[in-house]
Amino acid sequence: MNLDPFLAASPLLVVALGGCLLMVAEAFSKHGREENDSRSAGPSGDLALGTAITLITGAIFSAGIWFVGPDKLEGSRALEPYLILDRFSLFFSFVLCVGGALSALLAGGYLPEHKLDRGEFYPLLIFSTLGAMMLAAAGDLLSLFLGLETMSLGVYALAGFRRASPRSTEAALKYFLLGSFAAAILLYGGALIYGATGHTDLAGIRAAITSTAATEGAANPAVLLIGVALVIVGLAFKVSAVPFHMWTPDAYEGAPTPATTFMAVAVKSAAFATLLRVLVEAFGDPALTSWASGWPPLLAFMALLTMTVANLIAGRQESVKRMLAYSSIAHAGYVLVGLVATIKVGGDAQASIMFYLLAYTASTVGAFGALILCGSRGAEAVSYEDLSGLGRRHPAAAMAFSFFLLSLAGTPPTAGFFSKFYIIKAALGAEHYVLVVVLVLNSVLSAYYYLRVLVFMYMREPAPGAPLARPMRSGYVTTALVLSAVLVLVLGVFPSTYLEIVAQAALASR
Amino acid sequence: MSPFDLVIKYWLALAAGIVAGILPRGEFPARRRVALGLITALTVLSVQWLWPVEGAAAEATADEWPHLLNVLIGMPILGAVGVLFIPRQMLSLVRGFTLVVLGVGFVVSLALLTVPMTPGWHFQFIKDWIPSLGIRWHVAVDGISLWLILLTTFIGPIAAYASFGSIKTQVKELCFCLLLLQGAMLGAFVALDLFLFFVFWELMLVPMYVMIGIWGGAEKIKAALKLFIYTMTGSMLMLAAMVYLAWTHQRLTGVWSFDYLALSQVVLSRPAQMMCFWAFSIAFFIKVPMWPVHTWLPDAHVQAPTGGSIILAAVMLKIGTYAYLRFSMGLFPGPASSLAANLAGVAILGGIIYGALVAWKQADVKRLVAYSSVAHLGFVMLGLFGVTPTGIQGAVLQMVNHGISTGALFLLVGVIYDRRHTRLISEFGGIAKVMPIYTALFVLVTFSSIGVPGTNGFVGEFMIIMGTFTSERLGTFAGIHTIGASAGVILAAVYMLSAVQRVFFGPLTHPKNKGLSDISPREMVAIAPLVLMIFVLGMFPSIFLDRMKDSVAMAYDQFKTVSGQAILFADEQQAKLLPADTFSPAFLKGAPGVKEEGEPEAPPEAGDEGVQGAAPTRRDGVLADRGGDR
Amino acid sequence: MATYIPLLLLFLIAAIIAIAMFLLSTYIGPKNPTPEKMIPFECGSESTGGRFVKPSVKFYLTAILFVVFDLEAVLIYPWTIQFRSLGWVGLATMGSFIALLVVGLLYVWKKGALEWER
Repeated sequence: MNLDPFLAASPLLVVALGGCLLMVAEAFSKHGREENDSRSAGPSGDLALGTAITLITGAIFSAGIWFVGPDKLEGSRALEPYLILDRFSLFFSFVLCVGGALSALLAGGYLPEHKLDRGEFYPLLIFSTLGAMMLAAAGDLLSLFLGLETMSLGVYALAGFRRASPRSTEAALKYFLLGSFAAAILLYGGALIYGATGHTDLAGIRAAITSTAATEGAANPAVLLIGVALVIVGLAFKVSAVPFHMWTPDAYEGAPTPATTFMAVAVKSAAFATLLRVLVEAFGDPALTSWASGWPPLLAFMALLTMTVANLIAGRQESVKRMLAYSSIAHAGYVLVGLVATIKVGGDAQASIMFYLLAYTASTVGAFGALILCGSRGAEAVSYEDLSGLGRRHPAAAMAFSFFLLSLAGTPPTAGFFSKFYIIKAALGAEHYVLVVVLVLNSVLSAYYYLRVLVFMYMREPAPGAPLARPMRSGYVTTALVLSAVLVLVLGVFPSTYLEIVAQAALASR
Repeated sequence: MSPFDLVIKYWLALAAGIVAGILPRGEFPARRRVALGLITALTVLSVQWLWPVEGAAAEATADEWPHLLNVLIGMPILGAVGVLFIPRQMLSLVRGFTLVVLGVGFVVSLALLTVPMTPGWHFQFIKDWIPSLGIRWHVAVDGISLWLILLTTFIGPIAAYASFGSIKTQVKELCFCLLLLQGAMLGAFVALDLFLFFVFWELMLVPMYVMIGIWGGAEKIKAALKLFIYTMTGSMLMLAAMVYLAWTHQRLTGVWSFDYLALSQVVLSRPAQMMCFWAFSIAFFIKVPMWPVHTWLPDAHVQAPTGGSIILAAVMLKIGTYAYLRFSMGLFPGPASSLAANLAGVAILGGIIYGALVAWKQADVKRLVAYSSVAHLGFVMLGLFGVTPTGIQGAVLQMVNHGISTGALFLLVGVIYDRRHTRLISEFGGIAKVMPIYTALFVLVTFSSIGVPGTNGFVGEFMIIMGTFTSERLGTFAGIHTIGASAGVILAAVYMLSAVQRVFFGPLTHPKNKGLSDISPREMVAIAPLVLMIFVLGMFPSIFLDRMKDSVAMAYDQFKTVSGQAILFADEQQAKLLPADTFSPAFLKGAPGVKEEGEPEAPPEAGDEGVQGAAPTRRDGVLADRGGDR
Repeated sequence: MATYIPLLLLFLIAAIIAIAMFLLSTYIGPKNPTPEKMIPFECGSESTGGRFVKPSVKFYLTAILFVVFDLEAVLIYPWTIQFRSLGWVGLATMGSFIALLVVGLLYVWKKGALEWER
């Protein structure tokens, strides 16, 4: 029996196996029963470490197979079209595992601090990551849907993890309802596409579109176009592009911060990965990518709207967490610009998106992690005022927060700057001047609200008697912050190696 | 050589040093006296040493240590990281460390003077940074950036020293910002890779923002935010234009490069040229600042702490003018040439005259100095817009001048602010009676600022006005421009002197002013080097001009040739690549893809086709759409 | 496209009839409300308590566990039919599937979801 398929799928298998083991271990440990969770220390410590190790192992396996070369493994294509285990999906496995592992570390500090210390968090996190990895590797509309649901179900539960809090419940409910709605739309789109082409696998869809386009000029354009639009809309919900972003601020704000981090990082990356794959591999036919009758104008319009609306609203927020939620929407807009550019410059734009998502993962984990570090039980840092004078009270936390925010704002020499630069480069290469100018102006806008945090931390003193956020101490959070800081710095200062990597990871079929 | 011979050889410096050490009256601690004496002696020595000797350029070229610039940039930045690891309780260690790093930076930068500034690049250091995009760590110095680097390293320790006097809170953050700022500014002056330049350009912004925001006045947050948003808007547009330029270069040659030398060879299509010129120039105009985007400057200056103001005025604004000279004029000579007369008009009306008139009406001394900066930088820009060798030399000299005299003015204003915590002119009057030394220094610096002969301001303004008058590019307007600029000189005298009159002379009315103490030894030490430099620059300008003239001449020649070529292509709708032999080999030294032999990449053909670039290597839809490739 | 027009018409007519009936009964039908008619009617007896009764979460839990563990059987039926042709690979696949179920069952058991009273 040939073991190569298992080897090729090993990142997924490792994560799945680790998740199962961890789940059972948690159930069998003394913390498993809920009665005794008030006395003893919660399970978070060991579980967070276990989760991080599991996911890092997944990342290491991805990297290992990357170095071997997935095309060298004979059976790596055995799972196609359901799972396509190419460099593209390996890259995203790596990013998602890293994002998940860092979120788990954040949870290791956050959950005990806020007395949310229940073990379910970690298996849910792992299985969601698994779903995200499947989503990134999916080469068929069916497995795509499966991955999407596996990922989403876990995240719905994570969002409502703080079940005593109405906000958290509201967040989970909103996210669940809108998410299911989006999934239904996606499914409907898939059905229409199947109706138009007779295929559910992406390559088959592509081939069918090409052949009908060749024979009849344009076959079933209406049904097909509606299907494509619905699929894009369904995925746009997941990446929270305007106008499908309504759930994002509430869900992000209500969810416990590590869950928010995971939503902002992994869910978004995975959704972008699959969006990229679907658009390039299934709908990359010239018949569908022309400006007159294809999806690019739809995406371009969405990108413009996403960037501008999100940045404008983000500036008006009073809660830092909500601001970060809108900022993550804005970043989705920047990535969409890269996505529009893929039709003209292909590999370059894909590479820019992947680099962006990697950099965004590191910076966002850092920013949320720093926000976690800035607060403690009963005094969680939520609003700008909570952060007043933090630069004086806790310089290290403030410094870290500033660093990651500057990266999100795109200030050199951080990863955020270089990734934005790379997107601009791709978009200019595709001659989308309007998009570039809007992107550029938007990043100025975004600087305003990122800097506002710095203003409060360094330049304002807290009002007398105001409740202050007391910074917490946690080795896990600090570790996560250090890791992401290193990643942000390395990606910003020595991007060369990573550029080569993302260039290799770009989808071949163009 | 016996000590006696040494004394004879350097008697002048020795005497000057002793006099300076003895001169101050009153309770002046010995330590400060020694410091004053040393500063003076060293200044005299350096003038002797730097005095241009006949045939100096013929001397064997000294070894150019290629890492010198890396050390200059790296030391403050590493120092900034180092400061983070010093416990914040050890105040004197933090301060001392910062001063030592900045001071050593100045000493190291003096090594730049050991090399005769022949045309072309010196101390060039090139290393691949991001090879897949052709981004390189490319730093080098020429006669133009040389003086700006020296200005930066010179002002750095002074600003730090001045800040330590007045800022007592969060000293660690202050030191971090100062050092980071210093490294970034130096980097911006020496970067010859556009990407690298942009990195330093942006890096500079954050420490300045933090400096104004933390230690500024009442409206600090608004001022800091204004500074950031203005500059960021400009720089993001610049980034887009930069990528466009690099992309065009890639389209023409097949390789990515952000190198200034390589991109200079690209002549864009006419509309693109204009757009990119504006995108770059708006970024620089905001930094300079030119009317009408100058409004952030007065706020920033008024709110900034003294040290921040000094660095902002003395160095950061120069990055705008320097970058216009190097990048806007170097990369887009066509638009720079055809827009010269209009831009010069803006510089005169909006900068020199408007700045002066607004300065006249200010009630706050610091705001007055800030608006005077607008006026002075109008002069600098005028020198650059005129594009004559004299004008450019004058502009570079005036950049240094303005750095020194405005730095000194802000320092002096800081002195009085520390005593009274107000800077309103109406609060003062007649304080010459209680602060005689301070008054003398202030009047002296004022003279320098308004360009009284013998001080530095005179030389620069004179050369700029000369350049304007003889400029071909200003055409028939040259005369009017000259008149306007001269009127600006008069107005400068009006507003500065009237302010001096109201602050220092007349009856001593305000009771609080009666107890003011005169300038302290510490402040004296901080101001002394600036005052000395005012005279050095004013009396021995040839020290400076001698070292920049070759580089300026080269920049000028290149501007002339390339703008001629650019105008030739003005009607073309597609980008072209100029052949390498348009440029002097000294300029292209170190450009990517240039062989040592200086072999041009595209064989020149006859006539107009002679400037046709190498055939594009990528032939996909992008190029086909444009229908431009052959 | 023309072939679909009758279908569309059919839908349209059906919709019109339905809406018309609904509206007609509202507007034409005789209405004389009395207080007795307005009270909620529940099997002839007075209704008591709130309108929404929350069943205990245990019912849901049991229901969902039933769905999870019972529906797996549906997957096993087709496998039994193809058991021979699928061979060892099939056995291994089903084995891992059942193993996963066992893991789930273990988890549920240890978490106490199988106990009605605790």
